[in-house]
Amino acid sequence: MSKAPVAYSVYVMSLFLAFLPPAFGQDEYRFDLSEIEKEIEKKPYHIGGFLEFRPILFGLDTDAAFYKIKFFDQDQGSTLEQYNFGLRLEGSYQKGIAGLYFRTDSLLWYDYRGWDKDMTLLEGYLSLKPNPSQTLNTGKEVVQWGKGYAFNPVSFVSRPKNPDDPTEALEGYYVVTADLIKSFGGPLKTLAFTPVILPVTENINDDFGKADYINFAAKLYFLLWDTDMDLMFFTGESRTPRYGFDFARNIKANFEIHGELAWITDFKKKSIDPQGNLSTQESDILRALFGIRYLTASEITYIIEYYHNGGGIDKDDAQNFFRFADQAYDTFLSTGESAPLTRTAQLSQATLATAKPMRDYLYFRASWKEPFDILYFTPAAIAIINLNDQSFSLTPEFVYSPKTNLEFRLRTAFLIGDNHTEYGEKQNDYKIELRARFYF
Amino acid sequence: MFMCLLLAVPAYSDDGNTILQKVDRNLNPEAFEMYRKLINIEPNGSKKEFIMYSVKKGRDQIVSVFLSPASEKGRATLRVEENMWLYIPNVGKPIRITSLQSVTGGIFNNADIMRLDYSAEYNCDRVEQQKGILILHLKAKTRAVAYDSVKMWVDDQKLLPSKIECFASSGMLIKTLYFKKTKDFGDGLIRPAVIETDSPLHKGYKSIMIFAKMKKRELPNEAFTLNFLSRVESLR
Repeated sequence: MSKAPVAYSVYVMSLFLAFLPPAFGQDEYRFDLSEIEKEIEKKPYHIGGFLEFRPILFGLDTDAAFYKIKFFDQDQGSTLEQYNFGLRLEGSYQKGIAGLYFRTDSLLWYDYRGWDKDMTLLEGYLSLKPNPSQTLNTGKEVVQWGKGYAFNPVSFVSRPKNPDDPTEALEGYYVVTADLIKSFGGPLKTLAFTPVILPVTENINDDFGKADYINFAAKLYFLLWDTDMDLMFFTGESRTPRYGFDFARNIKANFEIHGELAWITDFKKKSIDPQGNLSTQESDILRALFGIRYLTASEITYIIEYYHNGGGIDKDDAQNFFRFADQAYDTFLSTGESAPLTRTAQLSQATLATAKPMRDYLYFRASWKEPFDILYFTPAAIAIINLNDQSFSLTPEFVYSPKTNLEFRLRTAFLIGDNHTEYGEKQNDYKIELRARFYF
Repeated sequence: MFMCLLLAVPAYSDDGNTILQKVDRNLNPEAFEMYRKLINIEPNGSKKEFIMYSVKKGRDQIVSVFLSPASEKGRATLRVEENMWLYIPNVGKPIRITSLQSVTGGIFNNADIMRLDYSAEYNCDRVEQQKGILILHLKAKTRAVAYDSVKMWVDDQKLLPSKIECFASSGMLIKTLYFKKTKDFGDGLIRPAVIETDSPLHKGYKSIMIFAKMKKRELPNEAFTLNFLSRVESLR
């Protein structure tokens, strides 16, 4: 491994420290309203974002199926390193009822394959807001639906979240959306209608589904008896029709419940036979989520969610895949023939290499706000359990913001499971990640 | 002893709840907008500052959005009665949170930042009159309110608070709010422009809230809805 990334790391960390605002003195605050009024003066434009440095150490599991598929002809040792450098740029310009918004991600990273880079327009759209009741947006926009924290089965017109990092910004699709809001007295306090038009061509939204179709989706929101409720649907030829419902409600001041139901028609369910053949069968499926958020007196927040994916890979099919991967690797070791491993890699792309590909998961997160009087420090523990094969990931996390606009996050994910289980066969045994962000 | 008992007897012409309603109206109009700077001061003297824009309507609707620092910009919170939602720009959709959840660090919590009228959340059980001061003993109307009871020192002429002590149901003092630097915000609104807070639970820590550009503003109810939460900053 070259020394260059380490030198870059030291350089980048120094930059983060150099960007720190000057330390405040021991003086009390200054009461100067004219100074505050200058700070809050509204400008028509805004540019902001963050610089990010994110080194990762992967602890490899050399016996795992996904390690063998990827590194069957390489010796990577017991660990791999990756150094990620990122720039998020966000901006807006507002004039009258019109506003322009954008968000981009520029990434540069170094790993065992060398340097690489990528730039993505996450969002970029024009918004017209004639009044608080009506909004019309057009452009690339994230349209997130659903009440779940880690999973959103009813989010029909957005890319899926990463349950390992569910609060990260997503990339949008090119859409036309509107928002029509009406408030009332009585038990029905709010009614809102959100229609969405999502075209798919060979150049626009091409990864959404079948090309050359215009798709429609809509969501109807009610705040009824202090409960958030949404009804939604998606129709169009790019994906099969789907219908959804979600809700969220505070049972007590420190206890919230939420849920989602999605009914997807003519879904192509995948199965894998012991010979590694992939077959699909069309059927209607149900995706569902039920979750709680509970806050204790000592400010520990628990988020627990159960997610059922009726279209996910079942346990027998997953075991067929892993057995086939073992056989393919044995063939490579005995004959040097790598074609079966290449086929396994292709098979995994459509099945088990996707995020949370199986049927039933339990998500658990406990985060403790500022324990032991340490301001801006939040430790957390996150577990994602595959209920079908009892494998799981366990991630302790520490977030600390020592200075204004500077944030550090340290997390270590341990992937635990038997042979032929989802987490037991992942490429890594563990992953240690430090993330430093400087916001501007 | 007899004199002490006499002093503790309610002697103000209005009843406690009427006084409390007057205090509420003196602190802010029923519908208004304001900017607030929050300063958290740690025992070692280091500070962190936040600026928020808030709009309130009626007794039970308030929405706030952070304008700075950059790490918090766009993070918005909506409260309608005891329903509360948080919008984080990265996440892209509002999430319902428990109403006791804190949205920023420091001694101020949501109950302070997203405060409704005191008279919407508390009943006045008792009024004590001392020299130039009324002491209102307030009791939370429901268990959803952050502080089980509150003791409020009020200037008996201006009907503005000078100090508030907040207690847990166990009777333990959670924090004390000191109202300072009374300022004329215009349109007849004269009120303290600074609230300082300390807490025996966080010894040495202090939080300051400075109010600016507080003025009457009537907005439609649609501005206080979940769908509008991501666009609150456009109200400025």
